Amino acid sequence: MKIKHLLPSLISVRACLHSAKRKTSLFCPRLIAASLYLVAPLSYAQTIETAVVDTLSSVEEEMLSDDSNFTFTESQLGENDDITSDVIHINSTTNVYASQISWAWTGIWFKYRALDNAYNDVYMNGVQVNNPENGRFTYSTIGGMNDAVRNKDDVGPFDPNNFSFSAIGGSSNYNLRASQMAADHKVTLSGTNRNYTLRGMYSFGTGLSNDGWAFFGTVGYRWSNMQTANVKGTFYNSFSYFMSVQKVINEKHSLNLATWGSPTERATAGASTDEAYWLANDYQYNPYWGYQGGKKRASRIVTTFEPSVLATWDFKINEDMKLTTSAFLKIAKYRSTKLNYSGTNPHPDYWKRFPSYNYDVWGREGDYNYDADAFWTSHENWQDEHYRQINFDELYFANTQLNKIGADAIYWIEARHNNHLMSNLSSTYDWNINKDMKFSAGIQLLSNRGSHYRTIDDLLGGEFFHNTNTYLVGDYQQTSTEAMYDVNHGYQKIIEGDRYGYDYDLWNQDIKLWTNFSLQRKITHNYITAKLGGRRMWREGFMRNGLFQDNSYGKSGKAHFLDGGVKLGSVINLGKGHGVNVGLAYEQKAPGASVAFMCPEMNNDYVLALKNEKVFSSELGYAYFGRWFRLNLTGYYYRVNDANEWQQFYNDDSNSFSYNSLTGVKREYYGVELGVKIKLTSSLTLTALGTYSEAKYVDDTKVNWMSSTTGVINQEICHNKGMRQSGTPLAAASIGLNYRIKRWYLGLTGNYYDRIYLSYSPNMRYEKNLQNSGRYHAGEYDVPSQAKGNGGFMLDASIGRQFIVFRNPLSVNLQLCNLTNRRNISTGGYEQSRSNYSITETEGSGTEVTTKPRTYNFEKNPKKFYAQGFNFMLNLNYRF
Amino acid sequence: MKTKSFIIALMAGAFALTACQDKDWEVPDSIISQPPYGNNDLVAGPIVTIAELQTQFSSAISSDNYKQITDDLWLRCVVTGNDFGGNIYKQISVQDETAGIIIGINGSDQGAFMPVGQKLLISLKDLYIGGYGNQAQIGGLYNGGLGRMELSTWKQHVRLIMDGTEEAKAFGAMKVDTIDFDPNKTMAQQGGRVVRLKNVTISGDGTQIVAPDDGSVSLVSNCVNRTISGGNAGSKCVLRTSTYADFKGVALPKQPVELYGIATIYRGTWQILARTQTDLTWTK
Repeated sequence: MKIKHLLPSLISVRACLHSAKRKTSLFCPRLIAASLYLVAPLSYAQTIETAVVDTLSSVEEEMLSDDSNFTFTESQLGENDDITSDVIHINSTTNVYASQISWAWTGIWFKYRALDNAYNDVYMNGVQVNNPENGRFTYSTIGGMNDAVRNKDDVGPFDPNNFSFSAIGGSSNYNLRASQMAADHKVTLSGTNRNYTLRGMYSFGTGLSNDGWAFFGTVGYRWSNMQTANVKGTFYNSFSYFMSVQKVINEKHSLNLATWGSPTERATAGASTDEAYWLANDYQYNPYWGYQGGKKRASRIVTTFEPSVLATWDFKINEDMKLTTSAFLKIAKYRSTKLNYSGTNPHPDYWKRFPSYNYDVWGREGDYNYDADAFWTSHENWQDEHYRQINFDELYFANTQLNKIGADAIYWIEARHNNHLMSNLSSTYDWNINKDMKFSAGIQLLSNRGSHYRTIDDLLGGEFFHNTNTYLVGDYQQTSTEAMYDVNHGYQKIIEGDRYGYDYDLWNQDIKLWTNFSLQRKITHNYITAKLGGRRMWREGFMRNGLFQDNSYGKSGKAHFLDGGVKLGSVINLGKGHGVNVGLAYEQKAPGASVAFMCPEMNNDYVLALKNEKVFSSELGYAYFGRWFRLNLTGYYYRVNDANEWQQFYNDDSNSFSYNSLTGVKREYYGVELGVKIKLTSSLTLTALGTYSEAKYVDDTKVNWMSSTTGVINQEICHNKGMRQSGTPLAAASIGLNYRIKRWYLGLTGNYYDRIYLSYSPNMRYEKNLQNSGRYHAGEYDVPSQAKGNGGFMLDASIGRQFIVFRNPLSVNLQLCNLTNRRNISTGGYEQSRSNYSITETEGSGTEVTTKPRTYNFEKNPKKFYAQGFNFMLNLNYRF
Repeated sequence: MKTKSFIIALMAGAFALTACQDKDWEVPDSIISQPPYGNNDLVAGPIVTIAELQTQFSSAISSDNYKQITDDLWLRCVVTGNDFGGNIYKQISVQDETAGIIIGINGSDQGAFMPVGQKLLISLKDLYIGGYGNQAQIGGLYNGGLGRMELSTWKQHVRLIMDGTEEAKAFGAMKVDTIDFDPNKTMAQQGGRVVRLKNVTISGDGTQIVAPDDGSVSLVSNCVNRTISGGNAGSKCVLRTSTYADFKGVALPKQPVELYGIATIYRGTWQILARTQTDLTWTK
C-alpha cells in the first residue's frame, strides 16, 4: 500500500528531473505536486501499470503539449479580445475529464463549465497576472513561447494547491524558473492552414550549472499573409521572446529574473449572418476586409505588445518551510483598428445591403416589403466579391470629394487603445507542518492603470474631422458645447494620430490575503481555504465631455470594496480504487472597473447599485482508478448572485448609442462530467469524455442604460431569465483511440457538440422594447427564444513518430482536424441588438410614437462564427 | 558565450522578422480618373436639356403620372442639392442652364459622393420621369408609382465628371445660377432650382427652433412645414425642414430675413428645402 501511495509522486519527480535533464532543483513544481500526491487519496489505488500508461512517450507528450499550446494560446485563447468569447485552460492532472478537454475540444471554443475566462486565475511564479479590470488573462501574450510555459500547475476549482484560493474555473501557476527548463537546444518548425501558415521556434537552456547559474531563452515567429491565411482578408505576424536567468545563491536562496513579450500584428475576422455566408458560399466569409486600388486591405488589425518582467526570490527557510516572493511588471500595449463612419454604414454586411432587406423571406403576417426586383438585384450584387467586401476606393473617393467643399471626412479607420501598466507583488509561505498537515498562505498586492483612448489611424483620404459627438448633431448645433467630446479644446479639428472621442484611465488597486490548510485524517484528505481582499478603483478623465462638463474631466471619487471567501473540501478514499470528493465554497468578488462605470467613455459616474458578486460553488465527484480502467464522474453546481455586466450598442428605439449596465444578475451553472480511460492493450488506449451542462440566467435583470444623445439614465427590466451562456457547447462528448508502439503515436478522436447558444441581446428583451415589438399580451411578455448555433460531429486524427538524427531526437507529428470537413458547426456568435421595427412619429401631433415593422428580421439573423473545415498542422522539432 | 549568442540572435530576429504587414496606404490614384462611383464607361449621346426634358414629358409630370424614357437621351447637369445637411432624403437636385429637376436615388451619403457643384453625365434611357405633387422627378418604379431608383441602377446611369479630366473639357462650362424666388413662376421655370427669398418672415408657432421633434409642432413625414410670408414669398410657400436635419435646432429668426433653398412644388404649394445651415444664416 505504501508503494501505491508513493508511486505517482515518484513518477512526477521523475518527470520533473527528466525535464530538467536531471539538473538539481529545489523548486521543481512537480516536486510540489508530488508532495500533494502523497496526501491525495485518489492516487492511493493507482497501480504500477496505470502509472506507466500515464507516462506518455516523449513523442506523444511533445505532440499533446504542442497541440494544447497551439490550440489554446495561439488559435483561440485571447486572440479575439474584441469578441467576448474566451476559453479557460483547465488541465487538472488528477481528473481524466479535466486533463483531456484542454486539447480534445479545441476546434469548438469549448469553455470549461461554460465559464467566462474571468473565472480562471493565472499565476506566474506565484504572482497573479489576470487583468484586474476585467478579470481575464490574455493567453496570446504567451503565444509562440511554448517551451517556456510548459512547466505549470493546473488545478481545478476544488483541487488543493499551494499558490491560490482556486477560482471556480480553475487556476494555473506557471513556473518560469530557468533551472526548470529543458537543458538543450530545440528547433521547432510548423506548417499549418490555420490562423498562421508557418511557425518557427528556437529555444536554448543551460540547466543549472555547477556555479548556480541557469539560463533559458526562446524565440518564435508565426506568420501568414493575406494569400496564405485560412480566413480571407486576415494575416498573422508575431514574434515572441522569452528569457529567464536564475542564480541559486545557496541552499536557501535563489533569485530568478524572467522577461518575455510577443509583439503581434494580426488582422481579425468578423462574424456574419447565415444569409451572408450563403450568399458568399463560404462559412469563413469575413466582412472586415476589402479592396483598395486592387489590393486586399484589412480594416480590423490588432497590434499588441505586452513586455513583462518577473523577479522571483525563493527562500527555503528550512526543510519544511519556504517562502516565494515575486514582483511582476507589465507594460501592455493593445491597439485595435476599426472602420468607422459618420455617414452611411460602409460595412458590406450592413443589413440594408442584404436581399432580405427588400423582401420578407420569413412569411410573417403584417405590412412587410415585397420588392422582388430589389431582392434579386441585391442577390446579384452579392455574387460580386467587390460588393461583399469593403470598397475602400469608394470611401477614399467620398472623403476626397468632401475635401473639395471643406467638409469633415465621413469615413475613417480608428484605433482603440487599451493599454495597461500593471505591477504586482506576491509572497507565498508554504509549511509542511508534518506528514499529515500542510499550511500555506500568501499575499498579493496589485496596481493596474488601464489607459483607454481612441485615435485616428487613417482618414482614408480625408483631411480632418471635428471632435464632436455626431449622434448629438441635430439636437444641438455641430459647434455647440454639448456636442464637443472635449470642451477644453473647443470645436477641435482632428487629424491622423490625434486622440478623439474619449481618453481616460481606470485604476485598480488590490490587496489579497489567502490561506490554505490541509489535513490527512484516516481515509480522508480535508482542506480549508480562505481569502480576504480589498479593492480600490477610480477613473481619471482627460477630456471634458460636453454633455458632462462637471464630471468627466479629472478624477472620480474612489470606490472601495471588501471581498473574500471560504472553501472546504474533502477527498474520501473508499478503497480498492474507489474515491469520492466533495467541495463547497462561498466567495464574494469585487467588481472590476470594466463593469463599474456607467459610461466610462463619457463621464466619471459609477454604475448604480454596484455590489460584490456572490458566488456559491459546489462539486461532488466519484473516481475509480483501476489497473486498466480509470473513471471520473463529477457533478457541480454554481450559483452567482449580484453579478455585474456591461454592454454598449446602438439602440434603435432611442436612435442613439447606449451604455447598458445590468446589475444584480443571477446565474447558475450545473452539470455532469465524465471521463473514462481504458487500456485495451498494452499499446492501445480508449478515452471517452462527456459533459452535459446548464449555464443560464435564473431571473430577469434590472438595467440602467444611458443614451449618448441625452446623457439621461433610464431604468429597464431585461427579460433574460432562461438565457444561456454562449459561445460554448453545453453538451459535448468524444471518444478517442490512442495507439502507441515503439516510436509511433497514432490517435483518432470523434467529437460531438450540441446545445451551442449565441450571446443573447439584452436590448431585444427590454420590457419597453418587447412592448414596442408587440410581444406583450394580457400582462405576459412573449420573450424571444435565444438564438442557437449548429452542433455536430468532428473527426480528428494525429500521427507522430520520433526519429534519431545525428544521435538526437527528431519528432515529427501531423495533426488532421475535422477530417469530414464539417463546416456548418457554429463556434459562437451573437444576436444583433437592432430592433425588428422602426420608431416613427405619428403624422400630425408628433406626440404619439408608433412602430413600423421592418422587412429585415434581426431576430432571425444572428451573427455567427463557424468552425474551420478540414485543417492540419505539421510539426517538426529537433533537440540537440 | 552561448547565452550571449542567443541574445544577439534574439535581437536580430526581432528586427528581421517583425516587418509590419499593414503598410501605409496612399490615396488610390485611380479614383480621380476613374471615380469608384458611377459608370465610367458612359460616353455622351444625344444631349437634352432639363427644360426640353420637362417639356417632352409635361403631361406625365402635370398629371402626377410617370413614363419610362425610351429614347437615347443624355443629360449634362450640376448637382445643386443633396443629403449633406440631412434635410433632403434620398434625393438630389440638379440644374443645367435651362432648369432644375429632382432625382430620386435609394442611397445615402449622396452629398459625399456628389457634393454641390459636381458635374454629372446621365444616361436617361430606361429611367422613369413623372410628377409627384406636380414636381418633376426622375427615378424608378416603386409600388406601381414613381419613386426612387435603386442605387445600383443610378450607378449604371451616371458618370461623374471630374475637374481636370478630358471629360470635363468636353462637358464645358455650365453656368448654374441662384435665382430669386418668384411665386408666380411655373414648376418648369423654378421647380428643382436653387432660389433666394428676401425679406421674408417665417412663422414660429410659438416655438424656438426650426424643426423640433418634441411634439410642439405638427409633423408631416417627419418634417416641419413653416409658412414663409412677406418679401418675395407669395401666399403659398413653406420652409420644409426634416427633424433629422443637422440644422433642425437652428433658432428661428424674429425679424424678416433672407434664406436659400431648393424650390419644389407640392400640389400648388412651394416648399423650400434648405440644404445646409448655410442656407439659413438669416442674413437680413
